[in-house]
Amino acid sequence: MKNKYTFNIFILFTFLLISILHNTALAKVYIDIDAPGFQQFPIAVCDFQNKKAGAVPSAEFNTAIADNIRHYIDLSGIFNILDKKSFLEGVEPGTPETIRFSDWSVIGADFLLRGDMIIAGQNDVIVESRLYDVTRGQMLFNKKYLDKTGDLSALARAIAADILLALTGDEGDFNTKIAFVIKKNARSDIYTMNYNASDMKNLTNHQNIVAAPRWSPDGQYLAFTSYKSGRPEVYLRNLKTGKEKNVSSFPGLNLCGSFSPDSKKLLLTLSKDNNEEIYALDIDAMTLKRLTHSHSIDVSPAWSPDGKKIAFVSNRSGSPQIFLMDTDGNNVKRITFEGNYNTSPSWSPRGGRIAYEGLINHKYQIFSVDEEGNNLIQLTFDDADNEYPSWSPSGRQIVFSSRQGSKSRISIMNSNGLNTRVLKENKDHLVMPSWSPKFK
Amino acid sequence: MKKHLTLIGLLMVFVFGLTIFSGCAEKKAVVKDEAIQEQKVAPTQTAPVAVKDDEAARRAKEQADREAALKEQADREAALKAQAAKDRAARNAAALNDLNIQNIYFDYDKSSIRPDAREILKANADIFTKNSAAKIVVEGHCDERGTAEYNMALGERRAQETKQYLVNLGINVSRLETISYGEERPANEAHDEAAWAQNRRAQFLLK
Repeated sequence: MKNKYTFNIFILFTFLLISILHNTALAKVYIDIDAPGFQQFPIAVCDFQNKKAGAVPSAEFNTAIADNIRHYIDLSGIFNILDKKSFLEGVEPGTPETIRFSDWSVIGADFLLRGDMIIAGQNDVIVESRLYDVTRGQMLFNKKYLDKTGDLSALARAIAADILLALTGDEGDFNTKIAFVIKKNARSDIYTMNYNASDMKNLTNHQNIVAAPRWSPDGQYLAFTSYKSGRPEVYLRNLKTGKEKNVSSFPGLNLCGSFSPDSKKLLLTLSKDNNEEIYALDIDAMTLKRLTHSHSIDVSPAWSPDGKKIAFVSNRSGSPQIFLMDTDGNNVKRITFEGNYNTSPSWSPRGGRIAYEGLINHKYQIFSVDEEGNNLIQLTFDDADNEYPSWSPSGRQIVFSSRQGSKSRISIMNSNGLNTRVLKENKDHLVMPSWSPKFK
Repeated sequence: MKKHLTLIGLLMVFVFGLTIFSGCAEKKAVVKDEAIQEQKVAPTQTAPVAVKDDEAARRAKEQADREAALKEQADREAALKAQAAKDRAARNAAALNDLNIQNIYFDYDKSSIRPDAREILKANADIFTKNSAAKIVVEGHCDERGTAEYNMALGERRAQETKQYLVNLGINVSRLETISYGEERPANEAHDEAAWAQNRRAQFLLK
């Protein structure tokens, strides 16, 4: 199944490479979508036209592909997708496109996507899609896509990624997964799902305390803590072979931290030297380097994307707070000063900001702060306990878990705290979501 | 105190008696099984020769019967052994339980040993000294508030501080082992301060 999926992606990718580019996308970023005031791009996505109206299977394909594109761009959190019932301009099959941009701006669309279904056979699909800037009356790209596998969602993802690229400068978070832990009674295990909540899979079957899943940035491994042996130890799972290797089983506590950007080192919290300290494990050489030296708890290390710094939690000043240090353990600096319980640091892949959870008015909420400890923003405000933030690879979204009474959720929000969308809701305890890197 | 010790002594004698007794019972049961087995098996060896096909079928059946009987016996023995081991473990656990080892409790987000816990640790250390053969596992636990990961570290800190206190009271460090369960193994499942106070604890296990 997985092989087939990989194969499909490969085929699609190959054809995309050789697909004809009429106009290359303008590499211009229109609006700073990270600005606090940014809301969403209003976009109209038309059903695709059938160039060959006679071809029977394409009758469903042309609406299905548009529905798929709407679904994927909606996931990115930065689009307001206009209801197609509000469209004034009809899309006549087979007629050449003459766009009256005023018909689109009057319904509030800033952008417009149109496309044609050129061939839709049993397995062959060729589509052409065109993105327009309605306010400027300008075409942003016109691109042909060929798919030999009949996998509409892969095709839609590719088009959605191009739309994001044209408007934001990067391809968004398509082809990513989220790992998380489901706790049932006293037992927990790791699950993964696609970023649109589809294809949920059980990864571990330890039926014990399992915690802190962390992806390696190269997408090869998932590291985590498990009490499988009866004690907290750290395992490294090869995602291709499914093989699990115990990489840390020192006396006392062995807790999984995070990977270095080159995926060669794994940060750990160990108590083998009689105190909880942070260590870097060289995965190939299996050598350890101790990084912290204090009589307090040092835990939850997160490596910066440029590889130069490590964020971690320490209670050296009396309560758990977020600190930064160099990768050799020097230049320790506290960056959180509000509140007396700040934990779970996660570093934005674009650098600059650290998301974390903090206790405020008896609830845990997600915050983000810059590396200097300035420009603190509270991102969640509702009545739930919101915990375990993890950034998407594009740095534009954050996944987190929340708990309110008996309800437990995994949700994503834009990195400015807007547009929260629930991915999974359950009576079991859903915790510790971790966003994967982009898979090829 | 002395009276208490006598009671413990009596209890141990009783426990030993039980162990020996159950050991005998086990052996007897086995012997009985073998007797049955022999009775079943014996006729097959002296059976007269009959029609060849029947003979082969009969032999196969006998072989199967014999194997089934052996397997049954093995299963019975294994079950008895498992039961005996279980009983022994339960008796050990009960005996250790009767030692009256008490948990100690911690303040919120703290791992320092409270004054009330010092008295308990002294009493526990006496018990550990008297049971010098047993290893001691110190379990650190937290209440459900806060981050699971930080709580695993906090639980370990509580276990370590407790271990150090016991070392200072003269318990040999090589007998002591720590494990943190963070917030994952609450003693009280409720979600209020009373439950949390019971969950912020160090618990002791002799083995």
